Amino acid sequence: MVSLAVDLAGLKLDHPLINASGTMDLFALAESVGQEVLERPPVAAYVLKTVTLRPRVGNPPPRIVETACGVVNAIGLPNVGIEVFIREELPRALELACPIIVSIGGESAEEYAEVTCQLARAVAQLSGSEWTSRVGLELNISCPNVTRGGMAIGSDPAETSRVVASVRKVWAGVLIAKLTPNVTDIAAIGKAAVEAGANVICAVNTYKALVMDRSSLRPYLGNVTGGLSGPAIKPLALRAIYDLYAAVEVPIIGMGGIASVQDVLEFISCGATAVAVGSALFREPYLPRVLAQELAVFLDQRRLTLEQLTGFAHRSV
Amino acid sequence: MATGQSESGLCRRLASVVRVQRLGSLTWLVLFVPGWPGAKPGQFAMLQSERSRCFLARPFSVADQLEEQVSFLIAPVGEASRELCGSRTGEKVWVLGPLGNGFDLEAVTKDAQRIVLIGGGVGIAPFPLVLRNMRGAATERPLEVLVLLGFRDLAQSQAARLVRAAFDLSSRERIKGQVLAVREDDHRRRGVMVSDLARAHMRPGDRLLACGPLSMCRALWEMCRSIRDVKAWFSLESTMACGVGACHGCVITRVDGSFAQVCRQGPVFRGEEVFGG
Repeated sequence: MVSLAVDLAGLKLDHPLINASGTMDLFALAESVGQEVLERPPVAAYVLKTVTLRPRVGNPPPRIVETACGVVNAIGLPNVGIEVFIREELPRALELACPIIVSIGGESAEEYAEVTCQLARAVAQLSGSEWTSRVGLELNISCPNVTRGGMAIGSDPAETSRVVASVRKVWAGVLIAKLTPNVTDIAAIGKAAVEAGANVICAVNTYKALVMDRSSLRPYLGNVTGGLSGPAIKPLALRAIYDLYAAVEVPIIGMGGIASVQDVLEFISCGATAVAVGSALFREPYLPRVLAQELAVFLDQRRLTLEQLTGFAHRSV
Repeated sequence: MATGQSESGLCRRLASVVRVQRLGSLTWLVLFVPGWPGAKPGQFAMLQSERSRCFLARPFSVADQLEEQVSFLIAPVGEASRELCGSRTGEKVWVLGPLGNGFDLEAVTKDAQRIVLIGGGVGIAPFPLVLRNMRGAATERPLEVLVLLGFRDLAQSQAARLVRAAFDLSSRERIKGQVLAVREDDHRRRGVMVSDLARAHMRPGDRLLACGPLSMCRALWEMCRSIRDVKAWFSLESTMACGVGACHGCVITRVDGSFAQVCRQGPVFRGEEVFGG
């Protein structure tokens, strides 16, 4: 069987399939399906829901709605805040059988750095010296559903650079910049993030969107606007990955509407080293593991390696 | 309660449609769900027709179960539910579940003078299973149960017979009481709602389990507060994406202003938690 192992700038994954932040809660899932899911997670790395300096309650409902071939959400990053996160959620996440990626959000470079400082201390205390191959940090600079920070940072190269650089100073491990596609030139943002010290690029977050209530003809979501995900955005996301691969040297985590092994192949060919399932997890929580198995079968049948497929779309035949 | 994993390596299970029965405007859908681990009454499952044109599954209360044969009561309110209502025998449906907290029948029946079940429209769905399980809870002393059902119109009220059948079965085994139903288009009793029935029949010491439109639940809770020693549990609905606590999309606002995930902290809530003390 072909090897599916991938190395995200030092973060070692058994295969390229992970989850998008905010679309999987293994500990909540275990309440319904049993503890086995914690012993054998269906992802090669578990990406946690974004945590911020202070607790956030999130946006008023309704928060989520299905649209043609996709989902529009305006959840608004509800979370317990970094202090409670470190005390209650980080220890159990570090005990999972797979690497974890902690996603953080904030309103300013100082806030990202403060959250990272606290996290770095906690991870160093809780894990052995080898933690850098098992714990990554993702900067959510791309959430479209918060009034300050989020996408406002990730749509400006200078702001992106400032936030990434401030975190880079205090984080020794893998640093992932999660980009918003709501920009004219995502490659320019990717370059700015890498030059400031990001060693993995993750793309794309959701596309800013608006859904109308069918009968009242007023905006449906409590937050008025939301972010579109799901198969509807796949061609848009593929274009973003394609452009980023040509612009940066670091590994890319690709996502945007992945729901089948064909989608996985297309993202890897466009240049993704790893791929994340998001909205499709809502109907099938174990999809990443199943897609990894199907990816292995495909590569075996074609006698291809993962390296040969990665960026294949960019090479002349 | 573990749903484990199906043979395909998936979390959800591919079920076969055993029976589709039209009950006026609602549909009784019986599925054979291989490996179904059994639900508590009030739990739900995410259902999606195998050949659905929709992206996501939708949540439905488990209405009844007999080993791997699991039933749901479905109102055709949107494309996904219409697909399920239009299923034919032998067709396939994806099932993820059972999910959510369900009714804690032990807590409900403990020290209860009487159990009152109140359902509005398709909200009667969890009651056949509630009644089935109450038969087990009624071993030490006879349970008195009053069931009040409210429907929009004649077509919707056809589903009342599901609850009557479950109740008749139950009443042979140490459960006594009655089923009363009203419909809003009844010319003889114009404008009588299920909450009016409740006002006429509920008494101190009752334990209420309710499921139906939010406006009905809220009205019932307001009424409960004026009766001494009444405890009430409400099964609420919300638009859901995942059903397993991941997306935080299905939240409702608690009395204290905090948000609760209907799929994970619910769908069953105590009245004082969501409607106020």
